[in-house]
Amino acid sequence: MVASPDVTQKDRGRPAVAAGPAAERPVRRRGPRRDSVTAAVKAVVGVLGLFAVWELVVALADPPEYLLVGPISAFVELAERPGYFAENTFITLQEALAGFALGTALGVLCGAALHYSTTIRSFLYPALIAIDTIPKVALAPLFIVWFGFGFESKAFVAMAIAFFPLVINTYDGLGSVPHELQELARINKASAWKRMAKIEFIYAIPSILSGAKISISLAVGGAVVGEFIAGSKGLGYVIMLANSQVDLPSMFAAFIVLAAIALALFFLVDLAGRKLVPWKQHTR
Amino acid sequence: MNNEYAISVNNVGKTYRSRDGADNTVLSGLDFHVRPGQFVSIVGQSGSGKTTLLKTISGLQDPTEGEILVKGRPIREGLEDIAMVFQSPVLLPWRNNLDNVLLPLEFRGTRTEEATRYARELLEMVGLGDRATRYSYELSGGMQQRVAICRALVTHPELLLMDEPFGALDAMTRDSMNIEIQRIWRNTGCSVLFVTHSIPEAVWLADRVVVVGDRPGRIVADVEIDLPRPRGKEHRFSPAFSEHATEVESYIGVTAGIS
Repeated sequence: MVASPDVTQKDRGRPAVAAGPAAERPVRRRGPRRDSVTAAVKAVVGVLGLFAVWELVVALADPPEYLLVGPISAFVELAERPGYFAENTFITLQEALAGFALGTALGVLCGAALHYSTTIRSFLYPALIAIDTIPKVALAPLFIVWFGFGFESKAFVAMAIAFFPLVINTYDGLGSVPHELQELARINKASAWKRMAKIEFIYAIPSILSGAKISISLAVGGAVVGEFIAGSKGLGYVIMLANSQVDLPSMFAAFIVLAAIALALFFLVDLAGRKLVPWKQHTR
Repeated sequence: MNNEYAISVNNVGKTYRSRDGADNTVLSGLDFHVRPGQFVSIVGQSGSGKTTLLKTISGLQDPTEGEILVKGRPIREGLEDIAMVFQSPVLLPWRNNLDNVLLPLEFRGTRTEEATRYARELLEMVGLGDRATRYSYELSGGMQQRVAICRALVTHPELLLMDEPFGALDAMTRDSMNIEIQRIWRNTGCSVLFVTHSIPEAVWLADRVVVVGDRPGRIVADVEIDLPRPRGKEHRFSPAFSEHATEVESYIGVTAGIS
């Protein structure tokens, strides 16, 4: 959000529904489709470049295969055992998504409770901040004690990590409603329910989505950590198994898959955001 | 109590108690009345409590002293016939202009077919009839503020409170909005309380200019503006206009301690 000189101090930090001389002429659209195609091409070129440099370093330094392998070995490994990787990827993906969904639901609920109830806020906020300082992966052993060695414990680790960004972002988002709109609602005797449905939650959506974008990658990490500790399935298990067998191609293959699914999930959330918040692209 | 006024501000004071216990008096002994259909400008320097005064009149804040009567009745929050226009249009970016105008009625649960027709008429009146289904990001700042004015008028208010509504606009847009608001006011017949820190704007628009001094906010002068209406651009450079503006300015100079 650019604070141009004609925007007063009061207006900063709110979704700029542009006022002022700079906005006197209707905004001209830049072809957004062409922009995103160019960006996608650049991103792909960047990733391919990274692979190329990686492969080149491996080719030049020629390290032993138990220290480092190039991307080609990793992709060959993927191609040789597609069923194995697909199966384990699917498991990690399920754990991550379940944890993310649960963490998002609870996080939004909790953020809303913090915003709407001063009582809850004064009791819960300090406690939440305190819990947030605990590295969530440190809770993984506890969840295994509670929920066993299966799917649930990993999903709960993912949930614990995904939860906090959504609490904070929901709370912030609900607090970002311009005070004029709140006054407009009060002057017109809007019920609390109408205020929420017509203004506050829609205002909070961009902020909630930013939280979700952070959480979705974190959730994948949470699932993998759970599998590290007590897993017999999933990409975390693949990595641990490869570790014990000094099977670096398999390990790097798992890294690449992890990066790919985290990236794919991130873009899915981003895409959902563009569908849900089409106005945001115009008000930046 | 007197019922003939659209609004009576009777000896109103507002004091905030800060955390360390010190009292901060923002308004003190404000006393003025607005007749139905009158256009009253309130001028004063920043921090003189003009916005607090408007919020108190709208019922959003309670005065700590005195009382405010609307048509002889004490005000309360959510009074049906008061509407407010803010400095920033704050339109909802996910609603088109027509739906933005209808927002207050949705809050009240009285959005009807007839209301929708009226909202369209209002947009027509401010020259945005063909933009009803457009979004605010497609509009200039001046157009956005026109939509915000329609949003205020859609509830058929008898009293329109305007808090520096054109303060964020450039000078030329502001001039044309000043002409436009006079036309809107004539069409609707509502009383207007118009807060501004522009003396020319205050004088150009109003039947009366109330000068508020600062620390604490109190009425320094109440100047009758008897310029003929409708007032077009040519009036801004007339000797009578300058005379009024100079008079208003002299009161503001006194309160600021400039001799």
